[in-house]
Amino acid sequence: MRQVGIVGVGHTKFGKAGVPLVEMLSYAAVEAMDDAGIKTGKGHGIDQVFAATMGGGMINRQHGVASALVDTLNLRPAMAESVENGPASGASAVKLAYMAIASGMCDTALVVGGELMRVVSGWEATDFVATMLHPEAEYNYGLTLPALAGMFTRLYMEKYGVTEKDLAMVAVKNHEHAMHNPVAHIQLVPDLYSITEDEDAIIINPHVAEPLHVYDVCPVSDGAAALVLCAMEAGDRFPKKPVRIAGIGQATDTHAVAERAVSTDLLAVRLAAEKAYAMAGISPREIDVAELHDAFVILEIAESEEAGLFPRGEGHLAVRRGDTKVGGKLPINTSGGLKAKGHPLGATGVSQIVELTRQLRGEAGGRQVAGAKNAMAVNFGGFGNNVIATILTTGGPEKYASGNLRI
Amino acid sequence: MQAEIYAYKCTACGHLHHPAHFVCVKCGGREFEQVALTGEGTLVTYTRVYNLPEGYMKPFIAFGIVEFPNGLRAAGQMGTDELQLGMRVRAEVGVVKEGVGKDFYGFIFQKAE
Ligand SMILES: [Zn+2]
Repeated sequence: MRQVGIVGVGHTKFGKAGVPLVEMLSYAAVEAMDDAGIKTGKGHGIDQVFAATMGGGMINRQHGVASALVDTLNLRPAMAESVENGPASGASAVKLAYMAIASGMCDTALVVGGELMRVVSGWEATDFVATMLHPEAEYNYGLTLPALAGMFTRLYMEKYGVTEKDLAMVAVKNHEHAMHNPVAHIQLVPDLYSITEDEDAIIINPHVAEPLHVYDVCPVSDGAAALVLCAMEAGDRFPKKPVRIAGIGQATDTHAVAERAVSTDLLAVRLAAEKAYAMAGISPREIDVAELHDAFVILEIAESEEAGLFPRGEGHLAVRRGDTKVGGKLPINTSGGLKAKGHPLGATGVSQIVELTRQLRGEAGGRQVAGAKNAMAVNFGGFGNNVIATILTTGGPEKYASGNLRI
Repeated sequence: MQAEIYAYKCTACGHLHHPAHFVCVKCGGREFEQVALTGEGTLVTYTRVYNLPEGYMKPFIAFGIVEFPNGLRAAGQMGTDELQLGMRVRAEVGVVKEGVGKDFYGFIFQKAE
């Protein structure tokens, strides 16, 4: 197994793209290639392209996205695959690129994730995402991701004493972070009092799926993100020092959410994180910054616990203390998270790694976590039935050499 | 037309499943028999969902997860507006979605008397 690093990042402004899917992916791709100092055209050196999109076929009526992307970027005859793994498609593509390079099959890979969702109505987008639920036991009932998240949130509040205000505090924090991220979709900070305690709060911030309100749910966004990965042994060919992918863990859980033994557990998050820590030889205490999959704000709290960053049932207390803000003990979702940066499904897992790479390079501007060395991303597919955790580090492989024996 | 919802009982070890699985989660067996999943249960959690597709003439649809006495849990629609964690509900089966030329049947949980 060879060590793998990130040498280029690219990211479109999330929001409404106004261009076709492959063109949108191309903007992110060329930004990542420019960042890596790779020429477009002859001698580009890209061996393999992975393109992550969940809905290209269903909402944009375009399959074979990776093949189209390779052609328009003039990367032929590079190898190319499109990757679909629900909202975890992005992290899956990063994982596959890691495996391709670690195996020695290629030296340099381009990973692009993106989704063009604003071309359909809000309901059509919600319905398209719901097609990954269990067909008979969930989807046919009209259940959607917000519905499952609402039921999960109610249980979590009941069991651990999480309040609606705690949820809103996560949202406000992530919107504050997004103000420092120029590529975030929403550049506006809601007022905590106005969306929770004000007499008009329920008008400003109505229920989507009780107890979740509008401000507890991510927006529907277009956008793309891209990475250039290389073998660490080839790292000196690139202008910027590679950020190393130290560990990747993935785990699955039951398809039907009702079947889970403990309804408030996100077992796949826990198992994916454990695998990633073991592979990296890094403990949760050593993580300096994290991007967690807050499609619904309760997920940021629950994932922060399942990933071992805070004790079980205490994630919301960390939010109250301000631990998860930039400047706090362990900043979470410095990019604005899915909540404020936006959640173009196939882009999200790649976007999380773009943000963490910028953090570890010290390029995160007003949201920079000072001295960040180790970072974790959790990309959550389905309602937690397919989860990928990724750990990045500025540390060298020599310190963690044995970690690689895990895979 | 399916007016009954089933649990799937592994013929080797008796473990009950809902929905159907191809392989038993307990013993790895591959043969199941259908058993009617009916009766009363307990409401584990619920939500009212307000973002509904166009054409719905109601402000929200309520969903819940119910635990049956045999330990199985299933999601369904709620047929009552009186919703409380832990309440007793009765599993009825009705049309949960109208399809083109085919309606979908599923649980509609009612408040138990
Ligand atoms: Zn069995």
